[in-house]
Amino acid sequence: MSDVVILGVGIHPFGRFDKSAEEIGAAAAQQALDDAGVKWSDIDSAYLSRMYLPATSGARILRRLGGTDIPIVDVEAACASGGAALRQALLAIRSGESEMVLVLGCEKMPRGFMDPSMIYAPWQVQMGMSLNPSYWSMRARRHMYDHGTTEEQIALVAHKNHRNSVSNPNAMYRKEFTMEQIMNSPLVCDPIRLLEICAPNDGAAAVVVTTAERARKIGGRPVRIAACVHSIARYSADFRCPADSMSATIDNPGPTEVTAKQAYERAGMGPHDIDCFEVQDTDAFCEIEIYEDIGLCPRGDGGRFAQEGHTQITGRHPVNMSGGLISKGEPVGASHLGQVVEVVAQLRGTAGPRQVADAKRGMAHVLGAGGNCAVTILERL
Amino acid sequence: MSTAADRPLTPIRKGLISEPIDSPEAFRLLGSKCGTCGELSIGTNAVCLNCGGSDLSTVRLSPEGILWTFTIVRHAPPGDYRGPKPFAPFGLGLIELPDGVRIMAPLEGDIDTFRIGARMRLNLKVLDADSPAPLAAFSFSMIG
Repeated sequence: MSDVVILGVGIHPFGRFDKSAEEIGAAAAQQALDDAGVKWSDIDSAYLSRMYLPATSGARILRRLGGTDIPIVDVEAACASGGAALRQALLAIRSGESEMVLVLGCEKMPRGFMDPSMIYAPWQVQMGMSLNPSYWSMRARRHMYDHGTTEEQIALVAHKNHRNSVSNPNAMYRKEFTMEQIMNSPLVCDPIRLLEICAPNDGAAAVVVTTAERARKIGGRPVRIAACVHSIARYSADFRCPADSMSATIDNPGPTEVTAKQAYERAGMGPHDIDCFEVQDTDAFCEIEIYEDIGLCPRGDGGRFAQEGHTQITGRHPVNMSGGLISKGEPVGASHLGQVVEVVAQLRGTAGPRQVADAKRGMAHVLGAGGNCAVTILERL
Repeated sequence: MSTAADRPLTPIRKGLISEPIDSPEAFRLLGSKCGTCGELSIGTNAVCLNCGGSDLSTVRLSPEGILWTFTIVRHAPPGDYRGPKPFAPFGLGLIELPDGVRIMAPLEGDIDTFRIGARMRLNLKVLDADSPAPLAAFSFSMIG
């Protein structure tokens, strides 16, 4: 099977802007085309990753690049939408139906907690079980009970990610906070605090995907897609469905563990072959659990792993060099492609102060409602 | 059971609560037990959420369990939340029942007292008590 590559990337910063989804989406898409050295008319098919934008948003945004008759499809898989859309591009190219595909992620979201009617049943909303961070917090509380993970270890992850974001022009906050500021920020859902969770916001990111052969003819700095896997949580394996009950007898592996394992198998590599990681830090605890799920450390050791500094940019396994969702914000449809943009920069060696030394391979991971999880592994050619 | 003004209670979700709702003492949650794989989930379902089997029977779930994990919700949940106004922070937890299932539920009581492993008991919780159509929902509280 011939290699499929990302030839160009583009991003509109994540934040809150007085601009339409069409404006920020078209800007990211044009930047990706320019970076790839191709024109909009070279694209055979396009996908828009989005959750909150209305129907046909892909066509509405991309027709701003000029008239076209190519198929443009909106893809939705909650926080994993970007991975699901990138996978569609991979399939379209491998099938031979398309040779040059644009994948755009774009979102424009209101401030505050996310609209619960999207993912909760009415009775769950009426009873007060519709606050997303409450589910993450319950996992954190149990992990603390089972493994001795501390509030300080959770805060250390937030501290790292906020600090990393200072040099990322595409992040929303770009502000370093002290441990004291993080640990004294208001509780949202115990034990998770305000400076330890991500906020929904606006943003867009795009990639141009093509075959390795076509990329060679065009030139530029392509990055190989070693794996792009999307799956949903097995029975009773994750709170984020959002669950109304969980089994007390069946302990299925969680969606990140399952998806990462598939991605490692397809890429023919393991966690220790990968030089940098961008993962779903919807809250700081979530990142700790992901260290374990993607195999960076044994089950239960995630808190200590963070404390020992292994996931700092200068550590053995750098995680969320971009500042993560905690500091970038989470424009849901754009978040995975934003991670991909960061990983591509790392593999090209253009990440500036955030650069991981000699990064050859990188992973992007997202996880959200419905137990949707996506993992993409990229490799320098 | 009816409220003081004699308005009948409507279950917050069909198939979740045993009917008739005669008294707080007899109040139970319902579950679906799979005859093929033995798994149990809350509410009456047509198909087992684990194995896809259709040999399901409706069971009354145990009213007591153990707190498996919890959090404190410190901001008013978004959307059509029917809790007290003005908003007051409350506990939310997973209660493990001896039947082999963990139930997500609001917790009654002092938010500073919850702890993993505490014994919990089911309560009938009436929402919209002053409305023409009050809802029968549920919560758990610590025993003792």
